[in-house]
Amino acid sequence: MSPSDSKSKTAESSKSEEKSKNETQPNLSVLEEDDEFEEFPVADWDDSKTDLAHLGGAAPGSAKSGGDKLWEDNWDDDDVEDEFSVQLRNELAKTKSSGTGSSMDH
Amino acid sequence: MDFPTFLVQLNDAVVNENGPCLAFLLRPTSPHGKDLVKEFRNPTSASPSIVVLVSEEERSGLHLAGSMESPWDEIAIQYVLICTHVAKKRSIDAFKEESQLVSLFMRFFTENRGWTLPALFSILRDLRDLAIDADHYAKYNNQKSECMEESARVIAKAFGHCIMDRISPPDQSRKWGIYYVVGLVLKCYFRVKRISLSKNILRALQANNDIPALELYPRSHQVTFRYYLGMLSFLNEEFVKSEEELTLAFYNCHIDAHANQERILAYLIPLRILKGHLPSAELTKRFPVLDEIFSPFIIAIKKGDLKAYDQALKDWEARLLELNLWLSLEKARELCQRSLFRRMWVAADKGTRIPISMFHSALTISGLDVTYEEAECQVANMIYRGFIRGYISHEKQMVVLASTNAFPRVADRPSPLSSI
Repeated sequence: MSPSDSKSKTAESSKSEEKSKNETQPNLSVLEEDDEFEEFPVADWDDSKTDLAHLGGAAPGSAKSGGDKLWEDNWDDDDVEDEFSVQLRNELAKTKSSGTGSSMDH
Repeated sequence: MDFPTFLVQLNDAVVNENGPCLAFLLRPTSPHGKDLVKEFRNPTSASPSIVVLVSEEERSGLHLAGSMESPWDEIAIQYVLICTHVAKKRSIDAFKEESQLVSLFMRFFTENRGWTLPALFSILRDLRDLAIDADHYAKYNNQKSECMEESARVIAKAFGHCIMDRISPPDQSRKWGIYYVVGLVLKCYFRVKRISLSKNILRALQANNDIPALELYPRSHQVTFRYYLGMLSFLNEEFVKSEEELTLAFYNCHIDAHANQERILAYLIPLRILKGHLPSAELTKRFPVLDEIFSPFIIAIKKGDLKAYDQALKDWEARLLELNLWLSLEKARELCQRSLFRRMWVAADKGTRIPISMFHSALTISGLDVTYEEAECQVANMIYRGFIRGYISHEKQMVVLASTNAFPRVADRPSPLSSI
Protein backbone atom coordinates (compact mmCIF):
# COMPACT_ATOMS: atom_id res chain seq x y z
CA MET A 1 0.00 0.00 0.00
CA SER A 2 1.44 3.34 -0.97
CA PRO A 3 1.56 6.18 1.55
CA SER A 4 -1.07 8.05 -0.40
CA ASP A 5 -3.35 5.02 -0.24
CA SER A 6 -3.15 4.79 3.51
CA LYS A 7 -3.69 8.50 3.78
CA SER A 8 -6.79 8.42 1.66
CA LYS A 9 -8.03 5.44 3.64
CA THR A 10 -7.67 7.33 6.92
CA ALA A 11 -9.48 10.24 5.44
CA GLU A 12 -12.18 7.89 4.29
CA SER A 13 -12.65 6.18 7.63
CA SER A 14 -12.79 9.46 9.52
CA LYS A 15 -15.35 10.57 6.99
CA SER A 16 -17.50 7.53 7.59
CA GLU A 17 -17.24 8.08 11.33
CA GLU A 18 -18.48 11.57 10.81
CA LYS A 19 -21.25 10.20 8.70
CA SER A 20 -22.47 7.84 11.37
CA LYS A 21 -22.33 10.69 13.86
CA ASN A 22 -24.52 12.72 11.58
CA GLU A 23 -27.01 9.97 11.04
CA THR A 24 -29.09 11.11 13.97
CA GLN A 25 -29.51 14.47 12.29
CA PRO A 26 -32.01 15.08 9.53
CA ASN A 27 -31.07 14.55 5.98
CA LEU A 28 -29.85 17.87 4.65
CA SER A 29 -28.90 16.59 1.24
CA VAL A 30 -30.36 19.69 -0.35
CA LEU A 31 -27.77 21.76 1.42
CA GLU A 32 -24.82 19.52 0.64
CA GLU A 33 -21.58 21.14 -0.34
CA ASP A 34 -21.45 19.87 -3.90
CA ASP A 35 -24.97 20.91 -4.49
CA GLU A 36 -25.45 24.43 -5.67
CA PHE A 37 -27.99 27.05 -6.62
CA GLU A 38 -29.77 25.38 -9.49
CA GLU A 39 -30.20 26.57 -13.02
CA PHE A 40 -33.80 27.69 -13.55
CA PRO A 41 -35.61 25.74 -16.29
CA VAL A 42 -37.20 28.95 -17.57
CA ALA A 43 -35.65 32.40 -17.86
CA ASP A 44 -38.54 34.56 -16.71
CA TRP A 45 -41.91 34.34 -14.99
CA ASP A 46 -44.54 36.67 -13.62
CA ASP A 47 -45.65 37.47 -10.06
CA SER A 48 -48.25 34.68 -10.02
CA LYS A 49 -45.40 32.12 -10.01
CA THR A 50 -43.73 33.66 -6.96
CA ASP A 51 -44.41 34.20 -3.28
CA LEU A 52 -45.21 37.81 -4.13
CA ALA A 53 -48.56 36.49 -5.34
CA HIS A 54 -49.81 35.83 -1.80
CA LEU A 55 -48.85 39.23 -0.44
CA GLY A 56 -51.82 41.18 -1.73
CA GLY A 57 -49.67 44.27 -2.09
CA ALA A 58 -47.91 43.96 1.27
CA ALA A 59 -44.16 44.51 1.35
CA PRO A 60 -42.23 41.23 1.07
CA GLY A 61 -41.01 40.16 4.49
CA SER A 62 -43.17 42.67 6.35
CA ALA A 63 -44.42 39.89 8.70
CA LYS A 64 -48.02 39.24 9.76
CA SER A 65 -48.69 42.67 11.22
CA GLY A 66 -47.60 44.12 7.87
CA GLY A 67 -49.62 41.65 5.80
CA ASP A 68 -47.02 38.96 5.07
CA LYS A 69 -48.28 35.75 6.64
CA LEU A 70 -45.03 33.89 6.13
CA TRP A 71 -43.45 35.59 9.14
CA GLU A 72 -44.62 36.08 12.72
CA ASP A 73 -43.77 39.26 14.58
CA ASN A 74 -46.25 38.75 17.46
CA TRP A 75 -44.98 35.68 19.20
CA ASP A 76 -44.60 36.69 22.84
CA ASP A 77 -46.22 34.05 24.98
CA ASP A 78 -48.10 35.07 28.12
CA ASP A 79 -49.15 31.53 28.96
CA VAL A 80 -47.75 30.72 32.40
CA GLU A 81 -49.41 27.35 32.97
CA ASP A 82 -46.81 25.11 31.40
CA GLU A 83 -44.22 23.14 33.36
CA PHE A 84 -41.39 25.57 32.79
CA SER A 85 -43.41 28.54 34.03
CA VAL A 86 -44.66 26.67 37.06
CA GLN A 87 -41.09 25.76 37.96
CA LEU A 88 -40.07 29.35 37.39
CA ARG A 89 -42.91 30.61 39.56
CA ASN A 90 -42.00 28.24 42.41
CA GLU A 91 -38.39 29.33 42.28
CA LEU A 92 -39.46 32.95 42.23
CA ALA A 93 -41.66 32.39 45.26
CA LYS A 94 -38.65 30.89 47.05
CA THR A 95 -36.43 33.77 45.98
CA LYS A 96 -39.01 36.24 47.11
CA SER A 97 -39.59 34.64 50.52
CA SER A 98 -35.88 34.26 51.18
CA GLY A 99 -35.51 38.00 50.60
CA THR A 100 -33.41 39.71 48.00
CA GLY A 101 -30.19 40.01 49.94
CA SER A 102 -29.95 36.91 52.13
CA SER A 103 -29.53 34.41 49.32
CA MET A 104 -26.59 36.27 47.85
CA ASP A 105 -23.63 34.00 47.91
CA HIS A 106 -20.87 36.55 47.51
CA MET B 1 -27.55 14.79 -39.07
CA ASP B 2 -24.28 14.58 -41.00
CA PHE B 3 -21.43 17.05 -40.85
CA PRO B 4 -22.31 19.00 -44.01
CA THR B 5 -25.91 19.40 -42.75
CA PHE B 6 -24.58 20.51 -39.40
CA LEU B 7 -22.49 23.18 -41.13
CA VAL B 8 -25.47 24.36 -43.14
CA GLN B 9 -27.64 24.62 -40.03
CA LEU B 10 -24.91 26.40 -38.15
CA ASN B 11 -24.59 28.82 -41.02
CA ASP B 12 -28.36 29.38 -41.13
CA ALA B 13 -28.51 30.08 -37.39
CA VAL B 14 -25.74 32.66 -37.71
CA VAL B 15 -27.22 34.32 -40.79
CA ASN B 16 -30.70 34.42 -39.25
CA GLU B 17 -29.31 35.61 -35.93
CA ASN B 18 -31.12 32.77 -34.19
CA GLY B 19 -29.50 32.57 -30.75
CA PRO B 20 -31.56 29.70 -29.27
CA CYS B 21 -30.95 27.58 -32.38
CA LEU B 22 -27.23 28.30 -32.21
CA ALA B 23 -27.25 27.28 -28.57
CA PHE B 24 -28.97 24.01 -29.48
CA LEU B 25 -26.49 23.25 -32.27
CA LEU B 26 -23.48 23.79 -29.98
CA ARG B 27 -24.76 21.73 -27.07
CA PRO B 28 -22.87 18.42 -26.70
CA THR B 29 -26.01 16.74 -25.35
CA SER B 30 -28.10 17.58 -28.43
CA PRO B 31 -29.07 14.51 -30.51
CA HIS B 32 -26.96 15.46 -33.53
CA GLY B 33 -23.87 15.25 -31.32
CA LYS B 34 -24.14 11.46 -31.32
CA ASP B 35 -24.65 11.32 -35.10
CA LEU B 36 -21.51 13.33 -35.69
CA VAL B 37 -19.48 11.15 -33.33
CA LYS B 38 -20.61 8.07 -35.31
CA GLU B 39 -19.84 9.69 -38.62
CA PHE B 40 -16.27 10.40 -37.59
CA ARG B 41 -15.65 6.95 -36.16
CA ASN B 42 -14.14 5.44 -39.30
CA PRO B 43 -14.83 1.68 -39.20
CA THR B 44 -12.31 0.83 -41.91
CA SER B 45 -9.35 2.27 -40.09
CA ALA B 46 -7.35 -0.28 -38.11
CA SER B 47 -6.52 2.03 -35.24
CA PRO B 48 -8.77 5.01 -35.55
CA SER B 49 -7.38 8.15 -34.10
CA ILE B 50 -10.17 10.62 -33.69
CA VAL B 51 -7.96 13.63 -34.02
CA VAL B 52 -6.46 12.44 -37.30
CA LEU B 53 -9.87 11.53 -38.63
CA VAL B 54 -11.23 14.88 -37.67
CA SER B 55 -8.32 16.59 -39.39
CA GLU B 56 -9.12 14.67 -42.55
CA GLU B 57 -12.72 15.66 -42.31
CA GLU B 58 -11.64 19.11 -41.36
CA ARG B 59 -10.35 19.61 -44.86
CA SER B 60 -13.53 18.44 -46.53
CA GLY B 61 -15.52 20.29 -43.95
CA LEU B 62 -13.71 23.50 -44.68
CA HIS B 63 -14.21 22.81 -48.34
CA LEU B 64 -17.93 22.31 -47.84
CA ALA B 65 -18.10 25.33 -45.66
CA GLY B 66 -16.46 27.43 -48.28
CA SER B 67 -18.90 30.22 -47.70
CA MET B 68 -18.70 29.97 -43.92
CA GLU B 69 -16.78 32.69 -42.25
CA SER B 70 -14.27 32.16 -39.52
CA PRO B 71 -14.51 31.16 -36.71
CA TRP B 72 -17.52 28.94 -37.53
CA ASP B 73 -15.52 26.40 -39.50
CA GLU B 74 -13.24 25.86 -36.53
CA ILE B 75 -16.10 25.94 -34.04
CA ALA B 76 -17.84 23.14 -35.95
CA ILE B 77 -14.74 20.97 -35.69
CA GLN B 78 -14.31 21.81 -32.02
CA TYR B 79 -17.88 20.71 -31.49
CA VAL B 80 -17.23 17.28 -32.99
CA LEU B 81 -14.09 16.90 -30.88
CA ILE B 82 -16.03 17.76 -27.71
CA CYS B 83 -18.81 15.30 -28.52
CA THR B 84 -16.27 12.59 -29.22
CA HIS B 85 -14.45 13.14 -25.93
CA VAL B 86 -17.75 13.21 -24.06
CA ALA B 87 -18.81 9.94 -25.71
CA LYS B 88 -15.49 8.36 -24.72
CA LYS B 89 -15.80 9.80 -21.21
CA ARG B 90 -12.55 11.73 -21.57
CA SER B 91 -13.74 14.51 -19.31
CA ILE B 92 -10.55 16.53 -19.10
CA ASP B 93 -10.07 16.55 -22.87
CA ALA B 94 -13.71 17.46 -23.36
CA PHE B 95 -13.25 20.40 -21.03
CA LYS B 96 -10.12 21.59 -22.85
CA GLU B 97 -11.83 21.46 -26.23
CA GLU B 98 -14.90 23.24 -24.88
CA SER B 99 -12.74 26.09 -23.58
CA GLN B 100 -11.19 26.28 -27.02
CA LEU B 101 -14.70 26.47 -28.51
CA VAL B 102 -15.62 29.25 -26.09
CA SER B 103 -12.56 31.27 -27.01
CA LEU B 104 -13.33 30.86 -30.73
CA PHE B 105 -16.91 31.90 -30.07
CA MET B 106 -15.67 35.00 -28.22
CA ARG B 107 -14.13 36.29 -31.44
CA PHE B 108 -17.58 36.28 -32.99
CA PHE B 109 -19.40 37.38 -29.86
CA THR B 110 -17.43 40.59 -29.38
CA GLU B 111 -18.31 41.65 -32.93
CA ASN B 112 -22.00 40.98 -32.53
CA ARG B 113 -25.08 42.03 -30.63
CA GLY B 114 -27.21 40.55 -27.87
CA TRP B 115 -28.95 37.96 -30.10
CA THR B 116 -25.87 35.79 -29.46
CA LEU B 117 -26.50 35.64 -25.70
CA PRO B 118 -28.53 32.39 -25.63
CA ALA B 119 -25.59 30.66 -27.30
CA LEU B 120 -23.09 32.31 -24.94
CA PHE B 121 -25.07 31.23 -21.87
CA SER B 122 -25.33 27.72 -23.20
CA ILE B 123 -21.65 27.19 -23.99
CA LEU B 124 -20.54 28.76 -20.69
CA ARG B 125 -22.91 26.46 -18.83
CA ASP B 126 -21.53 23.48 -20.75
CA LEU B 127 -18.01 24.63 -19.95
CA ARG B 128 -18.82 24.68 -16.24
CA ASP B 129 -20.55 21.33 -16.36
CA LEU B 130 -17.60 19.78 -18.17
CA ALA B 131 -15.24 21.34 -15.60
CA ILE B 132 -17.23 19.67 -12.82
CA ASP B 133 -16.94 16.32 -14.61
CA ALA B 134 -13.25 16.83 -15.31
CA ASP B 135 -12.42 17.74 -11.72
CA HIS B 136 -14.45 14.79 -10.45
CA TYR B 137 -12.66 12.46 -12.82
CA ALA B 138 -9.26 13.85 -11.81
CA LYS B 139 -10.06 13.58 -8.12
CA TYR B 140 -11.19 10.00 -8.56
CA ASN B 141 -7.97 9.17 -10.36
CA ASN B 142 -5.74 11.05 -7.93
CA GLN B 143 -4.82 13.62 -10.55
CA LYS B 144 -4.49 17.30 -10.07
CA SER B 145 -7.01 19.30 -12.03
CA GLU B 146 -8.03 22.91 -11.91
CA CYS B 147 -10.68 22.96 -14.59
CA MET B 148 -13.18 24.81 -12.42
CA GLU B 149 -10.64 27.58 -11.74
CA GLU B 150 -9.96 27.73 -15.47
CA SER B 151 -13.66 27.87 -16.31
CA ALA B 152 -14.06 30.71 -13.79
CA ARG B 153 -11.36 32.65 -15.65
CA VAL B 154 -13.01 32.03 -19.02
CA ILE B 155 -16.46 33.01 -17.74
CA ALA B 156 -15.08 36.15 -16.05
CA LYS B 157 -13.61 37.11 -19.42
CA ALA B 158 -17.01 36.63 -21.05
CA PHE B 159 -18.48 38.91 -18.39
CA GLY B 160 -16.00 41.58 -19.53
CA HIS B 161 -17.15 41.12 -23.13
CA CYS B 162 -20.78 41.63 -22.08
CA ILE B 163 -20.07 44.74 -20.06
CA MET B 164 -17.87 46.28 -22.77
CA ASP B 165 -20.60 46.56 -25.40
CA ARG B 166 -20.44 50.22 -26.38
CA ILE B 167 -21.96 49.94 -29.86
CA SER B 168 -25.15 47.87 -29.87
CA PRO B 169 -28.44 49.74 -29.45
CA PRO B 170 -29.66 49.45 -25.83
CA ASP B 171 -32.34 46.83 -26.50
CA GLN B 172 -29.89 44.63 -28.43
CA SER B 173 -26.95 45.09 -26.12
CA ARG B 174 -24.68 42.30 -24.88
CA LYS B 175 -25.13 43.99 -21.52
CA TRP B 176 -28.31 41.93 -21.15
CA GLY B 177 -26.01 38.99 -20.51
CA ILE B 178 -24.22 40.59 -17.57
CA TYR B 179 -26.14 39.21 -14.61
CA TYR B 180 -26.52 35.69 -15.94
CA VAL B 181 -22.80 35.46 -16.59
CA VAL B 182 -22.00 37.00 -13.19
CA GLY B 183 -24.22 34.33 -11.62
CA LEU B 184 -22.14 31.65 -13.34
CA VAL B 185 -18.81 33.19 -12.27
CA LEU B 186 -19.93 33.46 -8.66
CA LYS B 187 -21.10 29.85 -8.77
CA CYS B 188 -17.58 28.87 -9.85
CA TYR B 189 -15.93 30.93 -7.10
CA PHE B 190 -18.16 29.39 -4.45
CA ARG B 191 -17.42 25.93 -5.76
CA VAL B 192 -13.64 26.33 -5.63
CA LYS B 193 -13.91 28.29 -2.37
CA ARG B 194 -12.27 31.37 -3.81
CA ILE B 195 -15.06 33.64 -2.66
CA SER B 196 -12.80 36.67 -2.23
CA LEU B 197 -12.41 36.82 -6.02
CA SER B 198 -16.04 37.90 -6.22
CA LYS B 199 -14.98 41.37 -5.12
CA ASN B 200 -13.45 42.07 -8.52
CA ILE B 201 -16.70 41.24 -10.26
CA LEU B 202 -18.82 43.31 -7.88
CA ARG B 203 -16.40 46.22 -8.23
CA ALA B 204 -16.69 46.06 -12.02
CA LEU B 205 -20.49 46.09 -11.71
CA GLN B 206 -20.34 49.17 -9.52
CA ALA B 207 -17.85 50.97 -11.70
CA ASN B 208 -20.10 50.72 -14.77
CA ASN B 209 -23.07 53.00 -14.34
CA ASP B 210 -24.58 52.28 -17.75
CA ILE B 211 -25.70 48.76 -16.88
CA PRO B 212 -29.52 48.43 -17.05
CA ALA B 213 -31.25 48.15 -13.65
CA LEU B 214 -31.28 44.61 -12.25
CA GLU B 215 -35.10 44.63 -12.10
CA LEU B 216 -35.21 44.85 -15.90
CA TYR B 217 -33.42 41.50 -16.35
CA PRO B 218 -35.23 38.16 -16.49
CA ARG B 219 -36.18 36.93 -13.02
CA SER B 220 -33.90 33.90 -13.23
CA HIS B 221 -30.92 36.26 -13.62
CA GLN B 222 -32.10 38.53 -10.81
CA VAL B 223 -32.75 35.75 -8.32
CA THR B 224 -29.46 33.94 -8.90
CA PHE B 225 -27.49 37.17 -8.64
CA ARG B 226 -29.29 38.28 -5.49
CA TYR B 227 -28.80 34.88 -3.88
CA TYR B 228 -25.04 35.08 -4.35
CA LEU B 229 -24.88 38.74 -3.36
CA GLY B 230 -26.90 37.88 -0.26
CA MET B 231 -24.55 34.98 0.52
CA LEU B 232 -21.45 37.13 0.08
CA SER B 233 -22.91 39.75 2.42
CA PHE B 234 -23.90 37.05 4.90
CA LEU B 235 -20.39 35.64 4.98
CA ASN B 236 -19.01 39.17 5.42
CA GLU B 237 -21.45 39.66 8.29
CA GLU B 238 -23.13 42.52 6.44
CA PHE B 239 -26.49 41.31 7.70
CA VAL B 240 -28.62 44.29 6.68
CA LYS B 241 -27.55 43.99 3.05
CA SER B 242 -27.78 40.21 3.14
CA GLU B 243 -31.33 40.26 4.46
CA GLU B 244 -32.42 42.71 1.75
CA GLU B 245 -30.95 40.68 -1.08
CA LEU B 246 -32.12 37.29 0.18
CA THR B 247 -35.62 38.64 0.78
CA LEU B 248 -35.82 39.84 -2.83
CA ALA B 249 -34.28 36.58 -4.04
CA PHE B 250 -36.86 34.53 -2.15
CA TYR B 251 -39.90 36.53 -3.17
CA ASN B 252 -38.92 36.67 -6.84
CA CYS B 253 -37.93 33.01 -7.02
CA HIS B 254 -40.15 30.64 -8.98
CA ILE B 255 -42.25 28.71 -6.44
CA ASP B 256 -41.56 25.44 -8.24
CA ALA B 257 -37.80 25.93 -7.79
CA HIS B 258 -38.12 24.40 -4.35
CA ALA B 259 -34.45 23.57 -3.80
CA ASN B 260 -33.45 27.12 -4.65
CA GLN B 261 -36.06 28.60 -2.33
CA GLU B 262 -34.83 26.26 0.39
CA ARG B 263 -31.26 27.38 -0.15
CA ILE B 264 -32.24 31.05 0.08
CA LEU B 265 -34.29 30.45 3.22
CA ALA B 266 -31.49 28.56 4.95
CA TYR B 267 -29.75 31.94 5.29
CA LEU B 268 -32.78 34.22 5.26
CA ILE B 269 -34.51 32.51 8.19
CA PRO B 270 -31.73 33.18 10.75
CA LEU B 271 -31.54 36.79 9.60
CA ARG B 272 -35.30 37.19 9.96
CA ILE B 273 -35.13 35.59 13.40
CA LEU B 274 -32.53 38.17 14.45
CA LYS B 275 -34.98 40.80 13.28
CA GLY B 276 -37.70 39.30 15.44
CA HIS B 277 -39.63 37.82 12.51
CA LEU B 278 -40.04 34.09 13.09
CA PRO B 279 -41.04 31.87 10.17
CA SER B 280 -44.75 31.04 10.38
CA ALA B 281 -46.11 27.50 10.30
CA GLU B 282 -47.34 28.26 6.81
CA LEU B 283 -43.77 28.81 5.69
CA THR B 284 -42.07 25.99 7.60
CA LYS B 285 -44.52 23.32 6.48
CA ARG B 286 -43.42 23.97 2.91
CA PHE B 287 -39.78 23.34 3.85
CA PRO B 288 -39.60 20.35 6.22
CA VAL B 289 -35.82 20.10 6.06
CA LEU B 290 -35.42 23.69 7.22
CA ASP B 291 -38.14 23.19 9.79
CA GLU B 292 -36.11 20.38 11.26
CA ILE B 293 -33.02 22.56 11.61
CA PHE B 294 -34.63 25.73 12.86
CA SER B 295 -37.65 24.61 14.88
CA PRO B 296 -35.67 23.66 18.03
CA PHE B 297 -34.30 27.21 18.08
CA ILE B 298 -37.63 28.85 17.30
CA ILE B 299 -39.53 26.87 19.94
CA ALA B 300 -36.83 27.70 22.51
CA ILE B 301 -37.00 31.40 21.60
CA LYS B 302 -40.77 31.51 21.99
CA LYS B 303 -40.60 29.74 25.34
CA GLY B 304 -37.51 31.43 26.65
CA ASP B 305 -36.06 27.97 27.17
CA LEU B 306 -32.39 28.84 27.24
CA LYS B 307 -31.41 25.32 28.20
CA ALA B 308 -33.08 23.87 25.11
CA TYR B 309 -31.56 26.63 22.97
CA ASP B 310 -28.04 25.88 24.18
CA GLN B 311 -28.64 22.18 23.72
CA ALA B 312 -29.76 22.77 20.12
CA LEU B 313 -26.66 24.87 19.46
CA LYS B 314 -24.55 22.03 20.81
CA ASP B 315 -26.36 19.22 18.99
CA TRP B 316 -26.19 20.99 15.68
CA GLU B 317 -22.81 22.60 16.06
CA ALA B 318 -20.91 20.64 13.40
CA ARG B 319 -23.63 20.95 10.80
CA LEU B 320 -24.30 24.61 11.53
CA LEU B 321 -20.61 25.44 11.28
CA GLU B 322 -20.43 23.64 7.97
CA LEU B 323 -23.32 25.70 6.64
CA ASN B 324 -21.89 28.92 8.14
CA LEU B 325 -25.05 29.25 10.21
CA TRP B 326 -23.64 28.80 13.67
CA LEU B 327 -22.66 32.41 14.25
CA SER B 328 -26.05 33.86 13.37
CA LEU B 329 -27.88 31.36 15.57
CA GLU B 330 -25.46 31.99 18.39
CA LYS B 331 -26.28 35.69 18.06
CA ALA B 332 -30.02 34.92 18.08
CA ARG B 333 -29.54 33.38 21.53
CA GLU B 334 -30.15 36.81 23.05
CA LEU B 335 -33.76 36.64 21.81
CA CYS B 336 -34.17 33.48 23.84
CA GLN B 337 -32.64 35.14 26.86
CA ARG B 338 -35.01 38.07 26.46
CA SER B 339 -37.95 35.66 26.39
CA LEU B 340 -36.67 33.95 29.51
CA PHE B 341 -36.53 37.27 31.37
CA ARG B 342 -39.89 38.25 29.96
CA ARG B 343 -41.45 35.01 31.19
CA MET B 344 -39.99 35.54 34.61
CA TRP B 345 -41.52 39.02 34.52
CA VAL B 346 -44.92 37.61 33.47
CA ALA B 347 -44.65 34.99 36.25
CA ALA B 348 -43.88 37.87 38.62
CA ASP B 349 -47.15 39.49 37.56
CA LYS B 350 -45.45 42.07 35.37
CA GLY B 351 -44.17 44.17 38.24
CA THR B 352 -42.03 47.23 37.61
CA ARG B 353 -39.48 46.45 40.32
CA ILE B 354 -37.80 43.08 39.94
CA PRO B 355 -34.82 42.13 42.11
CA ILE B 356 -31.66 40.95 40.32
CA SER B 357 -31.98 37.76 42.33
CA MET B 358 -35.05 36.87 40.31
CA PHE B 359 -33.21 37.26 37.05
CA HIS B 360 -30.52 35.12 38.62
CA SER B 361 -33.09 32.45 39.52
CA ALA B 362 -34.48 32.46 36.02
CA LEU B 363 -31.01 31.74 34.68
CA THR B 364 -30.34 29.08 37.30
CA ILE B 365 -33.55 27.22 36.48
CA SER B 366 -32.40 27.22 32.87
CA GLY B 367 -29.35 25.30 34.02
CA LEU B 368 -26.93 28.20 33.79
CA ASP B 369 -24.44 28.35 36.57
CA VAL B 370 -23.92 32.11 36.83
CA THR B 371 -23.04 34.47 39.67
CA TYR B 372 -25.18 37.43 40.71
CA GLU B 373 -22.73 39.77 39.04
CA GLU B 374 -23.06 37.87 35.78
CA ALA B 375 -26.83 37.93 36.00
CA GLU B 376 -26.75 41.68 36.62
CA CYS B 377 -24.38 42.15 33.71
CA GLN B 378 -26.69 40.18 31.43
CA VAL B 379 -29.67 42.31 32.43
CA ALA B 380 -27.60 45.45 31.79
CA ASN B 381 -26.77 44.11 28.36
CA MET B 382 -30.44 43.36 27.60
CA ILE B 383 -31.28 46.96 28.53
CA TYR B 384 -28.42 48.29 26.43
CA ARG B 385 -29.49 46.17 23.44
CA GLY B 386 -33.04 47.53 23.63
CA PHE B 387 -34.66 44.24 24.67
CA ILE B 388 -35.70 45.59 28.07
CA ARG B 389 -36.74 49.14 28.91
CA GLY B 390 -35.62 50.18 32.39
CA TYR B 391 -32.56 50.71 34.53
CA ILE B 392 -30.63 48.91 37.25
CA SER B 393 -30.24 50.23 40.73
CA HIS B 394 -26.96 48.57 41.61
CA GLU B 395 -27.04 49.49 45.33
CA LYS B 396 -30.52 48.07 45.77
CA GLN B 397 -29.84 45.14 43.40
CA MET B 398 -33.09 46.02 41.76
CA VAL B 399 -34.20 46.32 38.15
CA VAL B 400 -36.66 49.15 37.66
CA LEU B 401 -38.72 48.53 34.53
CA ALA B 402 -40.59 51.02 32.39
CA SER B 403 -44.25 51.11 33.41
CA THR B 404 -45.33 50.59 29.80
CA ASN B 405 -43.82 48.33 27.20
CA ALA B 406 -41.04 47.04 29.46
CA PHE B 407 -40.32 44.25 26.97
CA PRO B 408 -40.87 45.77 23.51
CA ARG B 409 -41.58 43.33 20.69
CA VAL B 410 -38.27 42.15 19.26
CA ALA B 411 -39.49 43.16 15.80
CA ASP B 412 -39.97 46.75 16.98
CA ARG B 413 -36.34 47.42 17.84
CA PRO B 414 -34.86 50.01 15.48
CA SER B 415 -32.31 48.62 12.96
CA PRO B 416 -31.85 45.28 14.73
CA LEU B 417 -29.48 43.85 12.13
CA SER B 418 -27.02 46.71 11.98
CA SER B 419 -26.29 46.47 15.71
CA ILE B 420 -25.19 42.85 15.61
